[in-house]
Amino acid sequence: MTRTADVVIIGGGVNGLACAYNLAKRGMQNIVVLERGYIGIGATGRCGAGIRQQWGLEENIILARESVRIFEQLSDEIGFNIFFRQGGYLILIFDEEEYQLVSKTIPLQNDLGVPTKMLTPGEIGDFVPGVNLDGLLGGAYCPTDGTAYPYAVLWGYGEAAKRRGVDIRVKTEVLSVSHHRDSGYEVVTADDTFRTPRIVNVAGAYTKNIAAMLGIDIPTQPHRHEIAVTESLKSFLEPMIISITKGFYFSQSLRGEIVGGIGDDNETPSFSTDSSPDFLFRYAASLRQTLPALGNVRIIRQWAGLYDMSPDARPIIGTVDDIEGYYHACGFSGHGFMLSPVVSQLLSELITTGSTSLPIDSLNLRRFSQGDLVKDPYVVG
Amino acid sequence: MAKKILCHCEDVETEELYSALRQGYGDLETLKRYTGIGTGKCQGKCCFIQTLRLLHDMVTRTGGMEREATGPKDLMIDPDDIRVPTLRPPVLPLRIKDIVEGERGEP
Ligand SMILES: Cc1cc2nc3c(=O)[nH]c(=O)nc-3n(C[C@H](O)[C@H](O)[C@H](O)COP(=O)(O)OP(=O)(O)OC[C@H]3O[C@@H](n4cnc5c(N)ncnc54)[C@H](O)[C@@H]3O)c2cc1C
Repeated sequence: MTRTADVVIIGGGVNGLACAYNLAKRGMQNIVVLERGYIGIGATGRCGAGIRQQWGLEENIILARESVRIFEQLSDEIGFNIFFRQGGYLILIFDEEEYQLVSKTIPLQNDLGVPTKMLTPGEIGDFVPGVNLDGLLGGAYCPTDGTAYPYAVLWGYGEAAKRRGVDIRVKTEVLSVSHHRDSGYEVVTADDTFRTPRIVNVAGAYTKNIAAMLGIDIPTQPHRHEIAVTESLKSFLEPMIISITKGFYFSQSLRGEIVGGIGDDNETPSFSTDSSPDFLFRYAASLRQTLPALGNVRIIRQWAGLYDMSPDARPIIGTVDDIEGYYHACGFSGHGFMLSPVVSQLLSELITTGSTSLPIDSLNLRRFSQGDLVKDPYVVG
Repeated sequence: MAKKILCHCEDVETEELYSALRQGYGDLETLKRYTGIGTGKCQGKCCFIQTLRLLHDMVTRTGGMEREATGPKDLMIDPDDIRVPTLRPPVLPLRIKDIVEGERGEP
């Protein structure tokens, strides 16, 4: 059947659902979200749930800070408990060069209103009982960083969007998209064809595949990232613990499980989400090395998801030059969950007013054809 | 009425499953994340089959077949949703120490 919509959002991950909600909140009507699986099947439902403002580039620090402001009141706003907990992020530093870099970056974060401070190994020992201090030079700690339950964020945004009339269709894969000068976009699924003047392409690691249907080249690559969870323990670990150089992260969820993972430098681009024993060995070793008492704890489940890696590990957000009615957000390179509240808000501003309340020009796709890419040194994994 | 426990590891009652279904969380992948069913130490080995049977009963009834059905009468289940969630390794919970110190065999 042929249907019409004012906007079709491709992908029911956190960016798609939050964008639908924000568009509806801004008064837009006739919004359709198409998701090929169930809600959460993409990266969002597989992610580590971490939300941090400790970044190296001003752009990332500001976006993350604004996201935290939204997360702080999001449960109330959307009427759904997202289990947001500000236990802080503790970046363990084992490397002299990293220590210098982080020490230099903390004042920038502080100037932008992010209350990071450097802790000595002694202070870290008091804060995280049982942490292995061997080789530890210090740690950067920001108390307002934290975690939220990704599924609750998805369901919360989704329910709030539905209450405002958004049509969210699961098990509905977008098979093709085409653009016609006079009639706009045609989005084809197995049962229906949608005609719409605008589309929002937020299909996670598959965003580039959708874009390719319109002749748009997005230079991102899918990278498998594995993650695991232990049995539940009595609450003992306040912050999310990460190491930038060693590439691991873990935190204790509100259910008491230790959830975390470790990157793999040898991973080649693919859409595989298989689990590997190799990950289990490397992750178990880093957990026991960092918190030796965890040796007696059991890992009960591991899984994997896709990072949508961009060449400079920074997201790609906004419009595409010379293509009318097309919007996208992708290339989050492992930190798109934490940015989603603000990114979806900015996208909805762009779609409804043509401008944004925070600058996102530096994140436009066109930067890749202009050379000179800047990478954020705080990217993990 | 006595409470019926569906998932023993995570202490999820049958009534919680029905409540989730009523709110529109219909497939087992989603029910698992919403109620916690099958996310404990047994990883669903004890409760997924039981849950699938309850879902199946509801489909059988809404499909008009004659069968003594359990569960509330107002729930509609999509037969396509009656699937076992993806099973994740490890098969049994593994101690971190054993993973680190254990011998790695060839697969
Ligand atoms: C292991 C792991 C750990 C992570 N940890 C963190 C973290 O701690 N903090 C953080 O901020 N980020 C983290 N991330 C990154 C984060 O998960 C992503 O950046 C974010 O979830 C992206 O959201 P999204 O909505 O853009 O994409 P997704 O959640 O991937 O959603 C895209 C959706 O589009 C759908 N789709 C694709 N193709 C089609 C089609 N043709 N038709 C219809 N639908 C389609 C997919 O099914 C999917 O549901 C992690 C990622 C992984 C894999």
